[in-house]
Amino acid sequence: MLSIKDLHVSVEGKQILNGLNLEVKAGEIHAIMGPNGSGKSTLAHVLSGRDGYQIDSGSATYKDVDLLSLAPEIRAREGLFLAFQYPIEIPGVNNTSFLKKALNEIRKHRGEEELDAIDFLSLIKKQMNLVEMKQDLLRRPVNQGFSGGEKKRNEILQMAVLNPELAILDETDSGLDIDALRIVAGGVNKLRSESNAFVVITHYQRLLDYIVPDFVHVLSNGQIIKSGTKDLALELEERGYDWLLESAGTPA
Amino acid sequence: MIDTTKNLKDWFQDQVRGRDDDQLVLSPEFRATQLEALGSNGFPTRKDEEWRYTPLKEVLSRDFGSDETPKIKAAQVDELKQVLPEATHLVFIDGKFSQEYSDSVGSGLAEGLHIHTLESLNPTELSRVEDILANVQFTDDTIFQQMALGFCSSGLYIQVDQNIELKLPLHILHLSSSKESVTFSSGVTVVHQQANSKLTIVQQFASSTKSKATTLPLDAILLDEGAQLDLYKLGLESAETDHISNTSAQVGPSASFRAHQYLLGSHLTRSNLEVKFTGSDAEAILRGIYLGKDDQHLDIRTYLDHAHPDCKSDQHFRGVMNDHSRGVFNGMVLVREHAQRTDAQQSNKNLLLSRAARIDTKPQLEIFADDVKCAHGATIGELDDNAIFYLQSRGISKSDAALMLTRAFAAEITDEIQIESLREHIQVAISEQLSKVTSINV
Repeated sequence: MLSIKDLHVSVEGKQILNGLNLEVKAGEIHAIMGPNGSGKSTLAHVLSGRDGYQIDSGSATYKDVDLLSLAPEIRAREGLFLAFQYPIEIPGVNNTSFLKKALNEIRKHRGEEELDAIDFLSLIKKQMNLVEMKQDLLRRPVNQGFSGGEKKRNEILQMAVLNPELAILDETDSGLDIDALRIVAGGVNKLRSESNAFVVITHYQRLLDYIVPDFVHVLSNGQIIKSGTKDLALELEERGYDWLLESAGTPA
Repeated sequence: MIDTTKNLKDWFQDQVRGRDDDQLVLSPEFRATQLEALGSNGFPTRKDEEWRYTPLKEVLSRDFGSDETPKIKAAQVDELKQVLPEATHLVFIDGKFSQEYSDSVGSGLAEGLHIHTLESLNPTELSRVEDILANVQFTDDTIFQQMALGFCSSGLYIQVDQNIELKLPLHILHLSSSKESVTFSSGVTVVHQQANSKLTIVQQFASSTKSKATTLPLDAILLDEGAQLDLYKLGLESAETDHISNTSAQVGPSASFRAHQYLLGSHLTRSNLEVKFTGSDAEAILRGIYLGKDDQHLDIRTYLDHAHPDCKSDQHFRGVMNDHSRGVFNGMVLVREHAQRTDAQQSNKNLLLSRAARIDTKPQLEIFADDVKCAHGATIGELDDNAIFYLQSRGISKSDAALMLTRAFAAEITDEIQIESLREHIQVAISEQLSKVTSINV
């Protein structure tokens, strides 16, 4: 589904991703871990099409198409979803009408009929139960006045409604208490299927107790320096990153 | 440009030829005082501080033509009335009250409501109106007010009796018809609300697409103790018109004046809105949007005179400028020495959507009392890149995202409109104007 080959990316002349390789197939959950500044969020931003990143070399192919040449909205319509580390507050834009517009753009792109207000509401109510979100958040402007946990649940709600093929969760666990973490992870687990895939970017092993990954990758200095199964995450929790960084020959 | 006073007067009289004296409604004595001032004032120039940002050259260089018969389709008037289906409809066409299209005026519309055209007043009533007009002063004392009054050929005198609460709003429609040449129209509205009365007025300025009107409306408002007025103004005239309006309200003790201005139309629009408190514990809430495209110039001036203690004023105006358009907000709050415990808030936020657009904002506070709560703030910004990207990342195109965010920016003002059909109409007009914009830079 996603194939990243030797990707080099820089920001304002500074190299952030340094020959990154990653293969993600349908049905898989990949966790990407690594110390601060290793390039985790850059990877998420580059895949979702955010401005300000210079692609120096390498490629990212999504469903056999050059992902990096697509506008962000086209990537989204093609089934890519980014759950933001810091969801943006948008005053004046109603949460429900925003999500309805987003879903209908995606449906149009797929050649499906647009949902009317009634069908949309029944869909969203169903998915809200999944993330245990309060109804009144639907009537509010997007993320405005939401607590940290509510913003993250809103990201998962959007994911549930838009039903992406490839979801990238950028430190969705940061700033979440244990209950919110359980709810967010529960949402992901209910959505996972043979036909979709997840890339879960996280700083801590904790989230992986709830979302069990098929693969764990360690990112350092813009490269994946080690890949393994969920046991690798446990080992990292116990021993930290230093032993890996040393054996990989990169400075900590 | 005309620079001598005599020429100016002659020039203007020449422009409105065909309007002989018996078409003018105010008394010869009253008009004489206006025309005298008209002769001595001259047109404002960029050297006048209040007109620094307002380009009048084009307005003044238009060639006025003789009166033609208005070409108006009944269907167009009916459509405009649908903005407020449940209202008393009062229609002016090219500045002249139209009995054909209006609900019948007089005292029979609702209990305690008296609406008369200025042209139908007897001398006693007319002198009462002229007293109000003389009493309601403008600090931005210009030739445009004197023109509006000196050449007034039609208008309304609206009175509401004590303790009367009117459920139906008054929908005053000013329609400029399609003309071959530039025509001048003024519409004078005089409102007097007695104690504890309540009224909503919606003034809508519209035109046929080919109209070339220069519209100079003037409103004089007198609110007695505890009276409440909501005054909406919709400026939706076509691109070849000019619109220079003056509104002045005297707000008595415990009275409430709410003005809502939505300026989207005309080549040049200037709206001067003045409020003077004439008693304590009164409030003035001013809201507005100005939304420009192409080479429009939209200009709002407000003047709040806190002359009595314990009054509250709250102003919030937002501007959105596209293409080569230009917006001006010039807001003055004066707190006089005895106006203790004044609460005066003023906010002006602007969005520049094009590199070629321009905003001039000039918030001013002059405070002579020592126990007051006053704040003002002005911002000029662009759309938030992070918000645009967030919407894009959910499948919404960049241009749609920009449109959504701009509508949302305006909606923070329009959401306060209490009348649903009016709110929808204004929001649709804003969306339509934005969707025609060619150059949103994001």
